[in-house]
Amino acid sequence: MTSYEKLFDRLGLRDWCDADAADSPMSMAQLLAQTNEGNAESSGTLPFPSLDALHEACNAFPQTRDMTISVEQGFLSIKDNLKFILDPLTQPLSWILEGALFTFMATPWWILIPLLVLATWLATRALSITVFVAAVFLFFGVIDHLDVALQTLSIIFVCTGFSVLLGVPIGIMMSRSDRMQQLMLPILDMLQTLPSFVYLIPLIFLFSVTEPKLYGIAIILYAIVPVIRLTDLGIRLVDKDVIEAADAFGMTDRQKLYGVQLPLALPNIMAGVNQTIMMSLAMVVIASLVSAPGLGVLVLRGIRNLELGVGLVAGFGIVLLAVVLDRCSKAALQRIDPTHKTD
Amino acid sequence: MKRLLLTSAFAMGLAAPAWAESCGDVTITQMDWASANVVTSVAKFLMEQGYGCDVTTVPSSTPTALTSVAETGTPDILTELWVNTAPAYADLVADGKLVELADVLSDGGIEGWWVPQYVVDAHPEAATLDGILANPGLVGRRFDNCPDGWGCRTVNDNMNRSIDMESKGIEVFNHGSGETLATAIASAYADQKPWFGFYWAPTAILGKYPMVLVDVGAHDAEQHTCNSSKDCAEPGVSAYPRAAVKTAATTDFQQREPAIAELMSNISFTNDQMNGVLAWMEDNNASAEEGAVYFLTNNKDQWSDWLNDDARAKLSTILN
Repeated sequence: MTSYEKLFDRLGLRDWCDADAADSPMSMAQLLAQTNEGNAESSGTLPFPSLDALHEACNAFPQTRDMTISVEQGFLSIKDNLKFILDPLTQPLSWILEGALFTFMATPWWILIPLLVLATWLATRALSITVFVAAVFLFFGVIDHLDVALQTLSIIFVCTGFSVLLGVPIGIMMSRSDRMQQLMLPILDMLQTLPSFVYLIPLIFLFSVTEPKLYGIAIILYAIVPVIRLTDLGIRLVDKDVIEAADAFGMTDRQKLYGVQLPLALPNIMAGVNQTIMMSLAMVVIASLVSAPGLGVLVLRGIRNLELGVGLVAGFGIVLLAVVLDRCSKAALQRIDPTHKTD
Repeated sequence: MKRLLLTSAFAMGLAAPAWAESCGDVTITQMDWASANVVTSVAKFLMEQGYGCDVTTVPSSTPTALTSVAETGTPDILTELWVNTAPAYADLVADGKLVELADVLSDGGIEGWWVPQYVVDAHPEAATLDGILANPGLVGRRFDNCPDGWGCRTVNDNMNRSIDMESKGIEVFNHGSGETLATAIASAYADQKPWFGFYWAPTAILGKYPMVLVDVGAHDAEQHTCNSSKDCAEPGVSAYPRAAVKTAATTDFQQREPAIAELMSNISFTNDQMNGVLAWMEDNNASAEEGAVYFLTNNKDQWSDWLNDDARAKLSTILN
């Protein structure tokens, strides 16, 4: 510490340093130094010249905590403006989530389950998968987990829908412009790694904590990434010769996109959609921390009360849903995959 | 390699007595709220400087710490356990895995339903449950309930069965986690909006945002016991009792390090003291460690009584 104090003294900055010397709290290091007085004083060490180390030598420097405080105050001061823009913009998400939850809860099971099984059949045309889906719903029903499983399912449907709706156009834009790709890639990296609570807690300052869009946003921001990435990749991987042929036929950009690029990129986009579904399921427990209903709540209860059975059963339920959604989406997407048709 | 290990073990064996005469490695929980961090920092300082222990703090929360003790017997010391929100605690004590050492907050924590100070200032009737039920608009027509799995959730739900807030125009909102519950208070304060819900003191949140405990009537021990069980036959309204806030150690640790166990059984704060430290931290924007230093420098008489003679001698430089 003393090395920096000497430096400031030598530079003749002592007056400037002590001009507004506010008493800052004593740190543990100072107390330890006081405790070990008389013992070996380690004065030869040269700490990294961080804000805190410099502050200790010279009060004119702000401490690191002043920096974090100003970030907080910056957020609080723009909070009202942000709210004015973001609140109406995201309101449809709340309505749709509420609507989906209400529909899934209000429909009697003897209508809803046959309907879902029928939908599976229409989408996959695979008997084995349809039977499996029916068996899974029966299992949930027998162990009294049907309601929570359906809540989770309805949240997944809405969030995956939004992700695909937003993600595919963004992916197309990225594939058409290198600059856009350079801009988006760091953002996508951030979305995948930023711990959800870091942005969820500030969001509570913007929206009411009771709004379903809080967890909707958390799920979508995390799950949208694969569909964007793989749409971009899929279109960029389309054979250059095919594009050249399309150009030779005098196709417009729009015709090329819908007639050539998107169909050929479809297998990749489908893989992206499949991953998006899986990732939104992975967020179910995190979403329950911001009051999302469903299986995640049971997992959290299991953890909090050491009711290991409750947690394990609910966790297994999430896995079952994941398997169902994975098989269904894969089979359904394969049916509309043009490259897969062999004649 | 083996030789290297042997020599280093030998060297450590030689070095250890010089540094730690009677005390080896100690692990202590560091719970994720402000007052617990202060307690842990104070305890760490005393154990390291007074008793020569090698202290590792383990960031945790009540359920994770208790699970860990149940399954692996570590960490050695668990402090600031709000035991009435952790049903597993009683089982562990009964099984002989944990020993209760002290009430670390001697007055006990205050749990209950709170409304912000500015709401009561504007409408004094909001300080009682009857006043709120007669005028639900005062508190924003919402009750912020505990997350699923917390002890208070059962109690609140049972009390609400007899109050029936929904019929009186108050929507009950079940939070998903303690973080959102705290943020809901902070966000209400930022906009000076009404708020009504469960929280507890001493906490950094209630230190930072002055709140008024809603008067729901007297505490009725029998009624509260019934409210605390999931299948309470006759739920009714009863105020929360003072919550027991404990320090505990594993039975093994108490046998291994009786001196440290005794130190930990002495460490105890009154609510005024803890609130004072938390308020000072808030005013000075200080970390929990600095809060601990503030406590240690200002209450030397108190904590010198906690120590044994050896430790007092070692810490004499700052005690005198």
